[in-house]
Amino acid sequence: MSEIRHGTMEELLALRDGEGGGSAWVRGHVAACAACAAELERLEQVRSQLRALPPFAVPRDRWPAVRASFVAERRRRRLVRWSGVLAAAAALVLTFAVLRHPQAISPEDVALQQAMAESATMEQVFQSLHPDRRALSGQTATVVAELEDQLAQVDASLNDTVAYRRDPEQVAALWKQRAGLLSALVDVHETRATIAGL
Amino acid sequence: MADTLPLAEARSLVARARSGDLAALEQLYRTYEGPVYTLARRLTHSEDDAEDVLQDTFLEVCRSLKQWRGEEGGGGTLWGWIRTIAASKAMMRYRREKLREWEPLEEEGAAAGSGVAVSAPEDVPLKMDLEAALARLPERSRAVVWLHDVEGYTHEEIAELMGMTTSFSKSQLARAHERLRQWLGAGVGA
Repeated sequence: MSEIRHGTMEELLALRDGEGGGSAWVRGHVAACAACAAELERLEQVRSQLRALPPFAVPRDRWPAVRASFVAERRRRRLVRWSGVLAAAAALVLTFAVLRHPQAISPEDVALQQAMAESATMEQVFQSLHPDRRALSGQTATVVAELEDQLAQVDASLNDTVAYRRDPEQVAALWKQRAGLLSALVDVHETRATIAGL
Repeated sequence: MADTLPLAEARSLVARARSGDLAALEQLYRTYEGPVYTLARRLTHSEDDAEDVLQDTFLEVCRSLKQWRGEEGGGGTLWGWIRTIAASKAMMRYRREKLREWEPLEEEGAAAGSGVAVSAPEDVPLKMDLEAALARLPERSRAVVWLHDVEGYTHEEIAELMGMTTSFSKSQLARAHERLRQWLGAGVGA
């Protein structure tokens, strides 16, 4: 007694989708088998109906969050570039200070070095969180943007290298402030990562 | 889904967006948010997930637009490029969340490989509509059906997106269609 074999779903789908045209056997079989021909027709209908399903309406406007995250990232990239420039400028100022008074490094120089080191450490911690790869919610993005605005202001002040000669303590205070702002940014990202289970 | 921007307009818009023009980036978002969200809804299991994919997709578009080579540069259409980002973002969610929803379908085993069910299946057909039947499919199976049957992805492309084999994609598609057949009954009710 011979057993009738119909086309498998995979074979009929391959035939429907023209993937290699389906096997020669299934093509021949479908031409002779009304049941498989009907199934093939049904699969074509399903595909057409799937393509005709209506689109979904977007429930909430996500552009403000996208925009805030993108702007914050862009600002951060600029900050990272600036931080290198600032560190180099500060190092230059320190070098001059030491060259001018080689016999003794002043307490202001030591305080500045400590503040810069603290800022550099926080910068490293912050970058290790890969803030560029994170999508932030609208509220978090706003907090981050505010902190980064403050950071930008501090960096602008630090960019004034003449200020060191004028008021070295103030420059050290700015570097400390910079480290504090970076620490706050780290906290925001770490808190969010904890909540999201990342 | 058709490309919703004429080529010349897309080119001008992209040129402005690439220079960081936020108004141009917003226009891109407004043009494609609907198609991206619809795709994301089909590839994920909730509105919230789909919204996250929408947001992640456009953040990536803003970051990476400079890397799109354009149609003349062999980079495909703008919509095709954005769609691939959206699909990737949705697939990354599977990997991150380690979803295993498709396993029950795999356990049904022989059904898809042992000959098409040309007679009514043993289960009583539920006669649900196509939207409901699609929603009832496990997430990854639904994603394969949507990417293949609607978006026109090949099994090779789906396999690459999902980090699986082409055989996996083919068998998921076949098993999903078996299921749809059961739930839809003999006719297709949309």
